[in-house]
Amino acid sequence: MENSVLLAGAEGGPRSRWRVLGASVTGAMHTRLGLPNQDALYWEAEPDSGLPLAVAVSDGHGSARSFRSALGAQLAVNAAASALGDLLPLPLDNLSAIKRATEEWLPQSVARLWQSRAREHLAAHPFDEEERARLDREGAASRAAIEANPLLAYGATVLGALVAEPYIVLLQLGDGDILSVSDQGEVFRPSWPRDTRLFANETTSLCARDAWRDVQVDFRALSGSPPALILLSSDGYANSFASADGFEQIGADLLALIRSEGLNAVRGHLTSWLEEASRAGSGDDITLAIVCRMDAALRQAPDLDRGQAPDAERAMSAEGGL
Amino acid sequence: MAKRPGGELATRPLHFIWMADCSGSMKGDGKIQALNAAIREAIPHMRAVADENPNAQVLVRAIRFANGAQWHIAQPTAVADFKWSDLSADGHTDMGEALAMLAEQLKIPPMSDRALPPVLVLISDGQPTDNFQQGLDMLLAQPWGKKAVRIAIAIGEDADHEVLQLFIGNPELKPLQANNPEALVRQIKWVSTAVLKAASAPASQSTVPLPGGSNVPIPALPAPNAGPASAEDVW
Repeated sequence: MENSVLLAGAEGGPRSRWRVLGASVTGAMHTRLGLPNQDALYWEAEPDSGLPLAVAVSDGHGSARSFRSALGAQLAVNAAASALGDLLPLPLDNLSAIKRATEEWLPQSVARLWQSRAREHLAAHPFDEEERARLDREGAASRAAIEANPLLAYGATVLGALVAEPYIVLLQLGDGDILSVSDQGEVFRPSWPRDTRLFANETTSLCARDAWRDVQVDFRALSGSPPALILLSSDGYANSFASADGFEQIGADLLALIRSEGLNAVRGHLTSWLEEASRAGSGDDITLAIVCRMDAALRQAPDLDRGQAPDAERAMSAEGGL
Repeated sequence: MAKRPGGELATRPLHFIWMADCSGSMKGDGKIQALNAAIREAIPHMRAVADENPNAQVLVRAIRFANGAQWHIAQPTAVADFKWSDLSADGHTDMGEALAMLAEQLKIPPMSDRALPPVLVLISDGQPTDNFQQGLDMLLAQPWGKKAVRIAIAIGEDADHEVLQLFIGNPELKPLQANNPEALVRQIKWVSTAVLKAASAPASQSTVPLPGGSNVPIPALPAPNAGPASAEDVW
């Protein structure tokens, strides 16, 4: 699969360093049922300063009609990262133009790119007999739905973030969560309104014909205090907590853990934390991406072992997408 | 290393609610006794299905309706602890009131928006004697009422299939017919196992709805001729 994201084009010296870490685990229920992880995670960052960086998370629907949704999720994270990266060549001295491109062009770009890649895959790999037989077992209506919209087989959501030196862009289509965490550990959600359709395991999807209309975007200039962390997670994570507050608590907790233990230690535990959440919670696949502003991570850390942080940073700077 | 980030973890609740017609006509031909026996017999099967998926917390309740409606088992009860106490029959068929009472409990809160779609099973042998449509409208006005898996079992030939179909709200799923105790056992068991299993592990769906508008794929119906060959229609 083509996996390149064009992050060239950003200019200017970064003032703070950023790092990305993340993990994606197969849900406990999927393991019991012999199903694969149908989430996907991808990021790419400039190796030294970390900026610009693009990160994306996707959750393939996993329903019987979306039998290629694990692949659809991979296509989604790559489409999102590519579309976000395409904003980078825009001149940084005109943030209004970047904001306008985010709002007017990005939703269509992400949806069009995903749909075009899914169609290309389908053309190269038509549905085989086994897939058709499985669909038939679901009933004539399911088969008719796929025949009417073959991209339903690839159905997936997408969350994305682009961090460039002077701005951040967030995007979301479908369920899942994006949280921003301030230096003080306060948690904020993006500016768009809650979509009441994201309920009872139903989600808007990249496979819808007019999917671009459901893409939410948020542009913010990085003036004042940028977030310490940006967290992107598939819905299996939030659904594993007893309450919304309990889920949002991950923001302050992760920031405190990064400050006290270092990024590398958090990275070392991430997979087991997500596995525990799935096992004791939703049973669903869980994916979490953490975008960290390093000067915030090193600040206000009375218990920080100063000898650990550089090691952690070196280890992280060697990371890339999954 | 410090503790895992975030608050308390929890499996997702799955509310399973029986709605039983306890009108006077259920006295006849042993219907209410057969219903009590069928639900009691289904409980171990429900437990087995729940055990297969520890990520769904199956919680069972029951409403009875006759002259008015009451919670027969009001507390959402973990299926491992669930015990059936026998219903008795007498009076009218205030099905609309039962639906209205159910609608109150499907509001958010007390329901959580992270729950799995609830399973609502309506069992009746007759026609509503109150304002059924008003109760149904109240139920469907609640997001969880609308997204619930709604199943109906018609006991005997006098059951009002039209209202049961309105309750189901899915033209591809018809009321299950039970004209004898064996058939009732079979239908109750199917709801308690196959439907419960499907509802406890649903995959995400595009907002393009499944056939019939359901967001949980309904498993294949039990074969009409399954069960003892000697069973004859008695209702």
